[in-house]
Amino acid sequence: MSVRTDVVSLFEQVAAQQKKKLAPLLDELVLLDSGLDSLCLAIIVARLEDTLGVDPFTAAQDADFPVTLGEFIRFYDDAVR
Amino acid sequence: MRNVVVTGGSRGLGLGIARKLTAAGYRVIAIARKESNQLTSAMEEAERDGPGLLHFVPFDLAEIGEIRRLVTTLRKDFGPIYGLVNNAAIAFDGVLAIMHNSQIEHLVRVNTLSPIVLTKYIVRSMMADGGGRIVNVASVVGFTGYSGLSVYAATKASMLGFTRSLAREVGRLGVTVNSVAPGFVDTAMTQNLDAEQRQQIERRSALRRLPDVDDVANAVEFILSDKAKSITGTVITVDAGNTA
Ligand SMILES: NC(=O)c1ccc[n+]([C@@H]2O[C@H](COP(=O)([O-])OP(=O)(O)OC[C@H]3O[C@@H](n4cnc5c(N)ncnc54)[C@H](OP(=O)(O)O)[C@@H]3O)[C@@H](O)[C@H]2O)c1
Repeated sequence: MSVRTDVVSLFEQVAAQQKKKLAPLLDELVLLDSGLDSLCLAIIVARLEDTLGVDPFTAAQDADFPVTLGEFIRFYDDAVR
Repeated sequence: MRNVVVTGGSRGLGLGIARKLTAAGYRVIAIARKESNQLTSAMEEAERDGPGLLHFVPFDLAEIGEIRRLVTTLRKDFGPIYGLVNNAAIAFDGVLAIMHNSQIEHLVRVNTLSPIVLTKYIVRSMMADGGGRIVNVASVVGFTGYSGLSVYAATKASMLGFTRSLAREVGRLGVTVNSVAPGFVDTAMTQNLDAEQRQQIERRSALRRLPDVDDVANAVEFILSDKAKSITGTVITVDAGNTA
């Protein structure tokens, strides 16, 4: 569960810093509808690399970015495992 | 102490920039393939006299696949990175029609692909840390024509375009991105110029001389300083008026 906690708190932190209004963080939430733009998502990926020590996007073979929050969290869950 | 990474910091302009920044109190991390004697003495000098520090990290910037690991190591060993000076580059001149494809590819790899990928990983760490400065060393050859330098010119012009768009992308994060475009300066890179070509460049320059390494290093130091906090997405030309 700690990956989820880290991800959720970073979404909240970055939204506050970048003055964005965050949608409720449900698993089905489409990231592009979360209220955060792609730069915010990049900040989250950079900070997660610091906290979790992984960057699944560089490690991944293809260039697909997860679509929903649930997929995003699973992506990191799989990477830290 | 603020950390600044200077690629190609072992010789020429990069060494001049590294010395200048060390004297201004930064902790400079110079990257190149080989440590030069001049760099060794500059590091000893910095150690002795301060106020900044100068370190050397050997790395071949043509190894694109290893750049991410380099940045991870730099952050682990030195902490947050405040500034990046993309200075390392190579130059071969030659007529395009007979230039070997492998040479064209190598120029683009070292001068364009490598600084872009290095910036990618360092800007990520700046994002995580909340700000920073990126300086790309371009060249007047990026906006004026010189026969025999078409591929090199393409790589230097690429830095100018990269600078402007990246500045727009990361400005919100407090990261500035600028270029410095030197004119011809006496370094190993320009040793192929003969006396007559050099005089011709001097004659065509408004100030009737070439800029020196220190002039270019001053511009870089300014961009990294707090005085330049509102300057981003632009280019400072240091060419003694050659392209005026
Ligand atoms: N000199 C000029 O007139 C002039 C004019 C306009 C713009 N510029 C620009 O200024 C910058 C510096 O030029 P310079 O004249 O100082 O060149 P230089 O004297 O030839 O020095 C080049 C530096 O880059 C490093 N380097 C080259 N290939 C590398 C690689 N694969 N991996 C890591 N480091 C590498 C070299 O160290 P190693 O060989 O040990 O790796 C050296 O420290 C360049 O971007 C150049 O385009 C120069």
